[in-house]
Amino acid sequence: MKKLVMDRRASDNEYLHKDFHIALNHAIDYLHGNYGEDAVRDYLSRFTKVYYAPLISDLKTRGLVALKDHFEKIYSIEGGDVDIVLNDDVLIIKVNKCPVMEHFKKNNVKAAELFHETTRTVNEALCDGTPYIAEFLDYNEDPGSNIQRFTRRQKP
Amino acid sequence: MISCTEFIPAYSELFKYLEEKDGKAAVIKFWEYLSDNFLNNLRDLVKEHGLKGCWMYWSHTLNEEAADFTMELDEDKDEFKIVMHHCPSKGRLAETEHAKPYRDYCGHCDVLYRRVLEPLGFEYDIDLSRCDRAQCTVMVRKR
Repeated sequence: MKKLVMDRRASDNEYLHKDFHIALNHAIDYLHGNYGEDAVRDYLSRFTKVYYAPLISDLKTRGLVALKDHFEKIYSIEGGDVDIVLNDDVLIIKVNKCPVMEHFKKNNVKAAELFHETTRTVNEALCDGTPYIAEFLDYNEDPGSNIQRFTRRQKP
Repeated sequence: MISCTEFIPAYSELFKYLEEKDGKAAVIKFWEYLSDNFLNNLRDLVKEHGLKGCWMYWSHTLNEEAADFTMELDEDKDEFKIVMHHCPSKGRLAETEHAKPYRDYCGHCDVLYRRVLEPLGFEYDIDLSRCDRAQCTVMVRKR
């Protein structure tokens, strides 16, 4: 019989717990099953407007470079195979292999039917009330490839 | 994409959303669902290894979450203990000044793990009296 002790400081490790993606997948599935599709989008939209408020403000001030900086940062943390290009008023994020779907595959997790809303709805909510719009194109669940395009909103 | 490093605020906002829709009972119902569907790895490890399964599970998660903690497994006393000096989740929520955390955010740690461990023959206690400082103590004992 023995005693084991582990003592860790926050600085001993990098903060990267990819299983949180699996927890979010369960959350989306739960909301969808119990409250319907609109609730999934409503929740994600509310979360975006609360949590990403500084980013939305930055988007209004600095334009699409704010989103470019944000997405470069998170895809650099998460990995995957992603090309991010900003030209004038068009930002294109081409996800060839999604790091989340790769993590799901590795752990034999099926993506929730509406999991892609964590990208589509979040991007749309980021642009809501700004001079920009978000489009979510060519989505393929395996390997999670997609194109996220941000452009300037046409004036009516 | 919501990065896994941004999951905790997403989780906290979900608790608020559910409570607004159907009250605290809806939040607890979701925590129970998550315990039943997300914590199979903890359940399987404890079924196979007993208390040492707790050690194995939290060795993985707390290191990936960059927590500031001391964890002990005493096999003579049949006790497993985590002293959380600074919880990365609660700490991050507190630091995010523009988003107020769900009022009972730490409550999920009571519901989720208790629901796994008690049916397997363990007592689960969590002292959340210092959770406003991102600190808590978890004790698991063989019944």
